[in-house]
Amino acid sequence: MKKNVVFKMLSLFVIASFVLAACAAPAATEAPAQPQPPAATEAPAMTEAPAATEAPATEAPSAEEVTLRWRTRPDNQEEIDVYSQISTELDAQLDGITLTYEPGGTEGANYQDQLRSEVAAGTAPDVFWIPGTDVADFATRGLILNFSDLATQTDGFSVDNFYPGPMYHLTYNPESDASGADSGALWGLPRDVSTFALYLNLDLIAEAGAPDPRELAKEGKWDWDAFLDVAQKTRALGSDIYGYGASAWWGPYGTWLNAAGGGFFSADRKACALNTAESLQGLEFQRSLYQDYDVATPYGEDPEPPFRAGKVAMFQNGRWATPGVRTVEFNWDVVELPNGPKGTAGNWLFWGAYVINAKTAHPEEAWQLVQALTTAQTQGEVAALGANIPSRVSQEALDAFLTFTPPANNQAFLNGIADAAAPTAEGPLWAGSWPEFDKIMGPAIQGVLTGATSVDDFGTTICDEANKVFNQ
Amino acid sequence: MNEVISLDVRTNQILLLQSIWRGVFAVLAAAGALAPWLGWVTLDSNWQKLLVSAILLIAAIASGIGALQLTRHRHAGRMISLALDYLAFVACAVIVLNTGEVFIGIDALGETFGRGLPYLGIAVAGYFLGTIEDRFPKRDVSTTTSLKTVSRWIILGGVVLFLWQIDAVNGVLYFLGKLLQPTGLVAVAGTLIFGLSLWSMMRSEVAEALNAKTNHEQIISGWLFLSPNLLGFLIFFAGPLILSFYFSFTDSDAFNPPNWVGLENYARILNVRFAWLSSPTQLAREVVDIKVYDEVGRLALGNGGLLFAAADKFFWLALRNTLTFVLFAMPLSVIPALVLSNVLNSKLPGMKFFRAVYFMPSIAAVVGIALVWQWLYNATIGYINYFITVGIEFWNNLFNLAIIDPKIQWVSDEKTALFAVILIAAWQTMGFNTVLFLAGLQNIPGELYEAATVDGAGPWAKFWGITLPMLAPTTFYVVSTTTIQAMQVFEQVFILMNPPEGPNNSTITLVLYLYRSGFQNFKQGYASAIAWVLFIVIFGLTLVQFQRQRRSSIYES
Repeated sequence: MKKNVVFKMLSLFVIASFVLAACAAPAATEAPAQPQPPAATEAPAMTEAPAATEAPATEAPSAEEVTLRWRTRPDNQEEIDVYSQISTELDAQLDGITLTYEPGGTEGANYQDQLRSEVAAGTAPDVFWIPGTDVADFATRGLILNFSDLATQTDGFSVDNFYPGPMYHLTYNPESDASGADSGALWGLPRDVSTFALYLNLDLIAEAGAPDPRELAKEGKWDWDAFLDVAQKTRALGSDIYGYGASAWWGPYGTWLNAAGGGFFSADRKACALNTAESLQGLEFQRSLYQDYDVATPYGEDPEPPFRAGKVAMFQNGRWATPGVRTVEFNWDVVELPNGPKGTAGNWLFWGAYVINAKTAHPEEAWQLVQALTTAQTQGEVAALGANIPSRVSQEALDAFLTFTPPANNQAFLNGIADAAAPTAEGPLWAGSWPEFDKIMGPAIQGVLTGATSVDDFGTTICDEANKVFNQ
Repeated sequence: MNEVISLDVRTNQILLLQSIWRGVFAVLAAAGALAPWLGWVTLDSNWQKLLVSAILLIAAIASGIGALQLTRHRHAGRMISLALDYLAFVACAVIVLNTGEVFIGIDALGETFGRGLPYLGIAVAGYFLGTIEDRFPKRDVSTTTSLKTVSRWIILGGVVLFLWQIDAVNGVLYFLGKLLQPTGLVAVAGTLIFGLSLWSMMRSEVAEALNAKTNHEQIISGWLFLSPNLLGFLIFFAGPLILSFYFSFTDSDAFNPPNWVGLENYARILNVRFAWLSSPTQLAREVVDIKVYDEVGRLALGNGGLLFAAADKFFWLALRNTLTFVLFAMPLSVIPALVLSNVLNSKLPGMKFFRAVYFMPSIAAVVGIALVWQWLYNATIGYINYFITVGIEFWNNLFNLAIIDPKIQWVSDEKTALFAVILIAAWQTMGFNTVLFLAGLQNIPGELYEAATVDGAGPWAKFWGITLPMLAPTTFYVVSTTTIQAMQVFEQVFILMNPPEGPNNSTITLVLYLYRSGFQNFKQGYASAIAWVLFIVIFGLTLVQFQRQRRSSIYES
């Protein structure tokens, strides 16, 4: 009997301890729910720190320690470790702010879906990262903070310190249809940028006796014809060897349209432009790679495994693929995308941004954190992993990036985002729904590239359907 | 004698207080029901106002009736009081825990629990030390007593250190600090008041005074035991179900207050047009309003054709794919399971091992399975195509043939993508269905087979004449559940395909489409409407199966 009493007491203790302990640590992380001490007068002082290359210092530390939760989408454990380290460092730098880093799921783990659910439930972090294409949806629904006022009050901060492409969208004001430093809108700061390059299997190219694309690029001869020549020669090596491989999403096929002078949208991004002659020319060339010349891995199949297995000569992917490619056993390097009929490669400038939760109770501190996360130093730490490129237009950052080898030809990525290459910035659709547009465009393009639909039929019907996603 | 009088007085006082309390509660609840509409309380949307008002109004009416019944000393008043006070007590307790942020603190426990585990181990070791006396004969009483004492101190020390290590002290302080805000204090007061009221009405003297009978107490106990599950069902299943029904009539995006749009969502789903085509290749824009409709499909008929267009073509594509999936996945996961169960039902050695083997896909994680199949299906380096290539080369070399390697693009060709998903689903479900059939087979009386053997029936005749009819209830269950499961296909498609809709939308399914609409395209209202249409389709199919089963049931005939 006594034994039972002791056992029950022990059980009760343990259960009670679970409940009580559950109240402890997150309590601090839930601080945003608490009312904030008057900040209007403190904000300018707190945000006066230089933002360009170093973490913003806090001149007037708040009386109460504020805890901020922040999240970004890592691609692997190495990135999680780096972001955790950065969080620790910034925690020490930012007076009065305690940081909690929450690694979000990867893209495959539906980072965005989980984030949206948390935003809807009111439990999203104070600062989080979203892809560039999501900015309009989040902004127009009032889910992220417009911190233009805070930025204006911050000495040393300038939107010109970042690539203009992302900043065009991040400073877009849907009410005035204006963009730029004086638009009255600032939705976020870009975490990093990236662009496409062709990862080359140099062994296959040499075995096929094809010219080295890197040399052709240096000589200014790297165009669609040269690309097709290399692809065909390497494809001739065997039935299981492919000249080219690209994943099935809007990024890879969009470059061919862009390079031909076309694109997804009209110049004002308020209508579908998939049926223009230029867009169709780009699509026709890409279709021929799959259907006429049969040089590409089947559209819709993941080309990365065969590339890593040494069966693809040219693999189109972004900087984020570099850490994975570094493990292959053959000789490899990268080259910029070939120039199209208009003389440019039509590359993308990919980006994602740190934004501030509209419901944060600490906007000033969150703004400090966003600045600190986008300094050249912080970006350099992340870029050292090799997965992305700093988003600051800073020679110091770019010079550092070139040292992050392999690949030896890192310059190919910088060429892709250089002004001369006229890259198209990945961007949200302020005048419509990007997910809806993508939902219509993706399968239709796939129909063309798999041979189920002709380019003419595609051009005849696509914009009838796609134009419905625009508000006008 | 004095004691009896004293008891009656106390009971009467309790009943009087309870009557007053019920009246007060009724007034407070009625005021609460009006509060959102009079601006005393701010709620985001009309559905929240309606929900709160409806609950409080019902509570107010019930409490008023309870007060009347109690003044008349009727037992119904006690039952009403107990039900209302219990529900209110649970609600207040949940609010207390929520205000103290216990629910969102589980992560913290996860972080600190590991630190406390060794000390919890010490406490458990102390407990086992105290049980030694039960395992050995009592030779020395003083030794046993010492062991008991040591055991208690070790347990106490272990528990204290455990609580310290998992940061329970800070947790308590934080919890109490959070409760000091108005919501917390009101919730604590509510918990105490409703708890006290509940306790007073549970007293046997009160029950006797209100002529409670044995079955009344049994009813109360029954509901009490049922309540955790029932409340969980109402809050986490029925509640969201009703809410989604409401959302299906709104333009909810999950972030902002929804606007009532009536049947607009359903109208969009069901807005379709059929149009005759003058030639099989005539453009859809020439026969339907292309600003509203998109082509879903067309049927070539001689020199003309029939066009099917819809305002939401993705819904109809998803419905087509889902029904195709069911049409193939259901028989492919039921018929092989039936055959396999008959094989596994034999007395051959090693059958138990094979039963486990075939069941394994059913218990494996869907995500893992889909990823493995993704590799197998890879058109360039996948094992399936590899073996096909090797096989074709072997035959070509052996017989000097020229069979062409088809190099099937399992997941990237719209002709094979859905079939690839069907194969996985059938393979995964077959094991579970096999176990169900096995259970059914083992319930068939052996005498039937013996009698059939005596009558000269062969194995095939036994199967058709005995096994299949006797398995009818099991077959009905397997077919019904497999059909419902197939109608809700999601995970395999979502993980296997990239993008999940597959080439040319060939693998978009209804659940995938509603998930995309609700969680990726910010259309919660529309997604809810899709969910209810899906429910109607599943309900209809199941109803048909029930009716067919009734007609063919051997038990009913």
